[in-house]
Amino acid sequence: MTCEEARDRLLDAQRARLAPETRAALQTHLQTCAACAHEEAAEALLSEALESRLPQHAAPVALKRRLAAEWPGAPAAAPSLSRRWARYLVPAAAVAAVLLIGVPLAYQPAAERASARMVTEAVNDHLRILSSQHPLDIESGGIHQVKPWFEGRLDFAPVVRFDGDQDFPLRGGAVGYYLDRKAAVFVFNRRRHTISLFVFRADGLPWSTRGLRRVGGVDAHVTTSRGFNSVLWRDGELGYALVSDVDPVELARLAERLAPTS
Amino acid sequence: MGEGRAGLAAGEEPRWRSDVGEAYDHGMARWGRADAGGLGREALAYADTLYNLARYLTRSPTDAEDLVQETYARALTAAHQYTPGTNLKAWLFRILRNTFLSQYRHERHNPTVGGLDTVTPTSPAAEPAQWLRGDLELDRLRKVVGEEIERALMSLGEEARTVILLDLEGLTEVEIALVVGCPVGTVKSRLSRARAALRVLLKDYAR
Repeated sequence: MTCEEARDRLLDAQRARLAPETRAALQTHLQTCAACAHEEAAEALLSEALESRLPQHAAPVALKRRLAAEWPGAPAAAPSLSRRWARYLVPAAAVAAVLLIGVPLAYQPAAERASARMVTEAVNDHLRILSSQHPLDIESGGIHQVKPWFEGRLDFAPVVRFDGDQDFPLRGGAVGYYLDRKAAVFVFNRRRHTISLFVFRADGLPWSTRGLRRVGGVDAHVTTSRGFNSVLWRDGELGYALVSDVDPVELARLAERLAPTS
Repeated sequence: MGEGRAGLAAGEEPRWRSDVGEAYDHGMARWGRADAGGLGREALAYADTLYNLARYLTRSPTDAEDLVQETYARALTAAHQYTPGTNLKAWLFRILRNTFLSQYRHERHNPTVGGLDTVTPTSPAAEPAQWLRGDLELDRLRKVVGEEIERALMSLGEEARTVILLDLEGLTEVEIALVVGCPVGTVKSRLSRARAALRVLLKDYAR
């Protein structure tokens, strides 16, 4: 592989979109070419900066309310008020909405924002798995074939307590990234749904300590973001993020099998 | 960020304001209520994502709100063209960007500071001497703050901003190509050039 070919593939490699043989050829090139290795590092840092530090602008509450009111599928409108009363009540309701919704958002603790970023990252990583034509570096022949495959590819050994079964068959694995670090990616299925499990080093991440739910033997951050359900937990030195659009109850069932029991 | 209404005379309302009510009526007529509930709720779940893209395209909170509202109105009228099971987010992005381009095509106020064709990033591949300064760039990228990234992104042209933001949203190059209406190869080269331009800008901030 030439330098030009390698650089053309750096972003695809970051997004886990390369076929295993191309990825292997790229890795071989990067090990012998300092210039391209530098490019890989710079591209990874740029992605990390964009994904975790570029300000995200949320739609104003007023806009969301307007859209919800105008669009089909919105909850039925309350009985209409007379125009006379509406003149006074509507502004009052708007002020109340700002106080009830806006103030808590404005004072959302930094820890919660950081925690939300972890969920966002997990969902983004899951979307990359979904959109990739070749999401798996190794097709599953069972967990005992997938786990050893990670040896030498990560700076930690991913601990996965569940081998997959008929309900949640293990499709395979890949090396990916979670925020600023490498991650072991395990892909399970539930009927036609794809479930991604990211295992990564847990140190230095803003793990949430509020609103946790007991899942198996751990306290997990269970949430829904952009239509995807996610369960995040920490087990010693390793962090786990489980993401899918599968029903949250079913996702929790899988999380219970993956989490330690005590 | 520029607060001016790009492409509009002082005091003039954006055209999409008056279109919303009419579009809604047409959409309601075309879109069966049984379909409307599910798709409507799903589409509204992308309000934050669409608004974020709109903010970076228009550079104005007010224009972004108008753009998102117009996008939903147009999506409603075109709901019959949406194929269930395909990427709804990408479909909405496409409508938003087309709406933006149609409204801002003759933009006079607040021009972009160099589009993709005018930003000429120094290709890191072209100058071997740059490898010697490589560590400085990596160090800078580790320390760059959100405000600087936003400023650098805003100084790129519309095409560059769009491909970077769509890539950031997790769209594949094929999906981005559908959104912006160009071949996949063009998306790949645009994204590569946009990221290179961004790196040059971020490195400049370090000086």
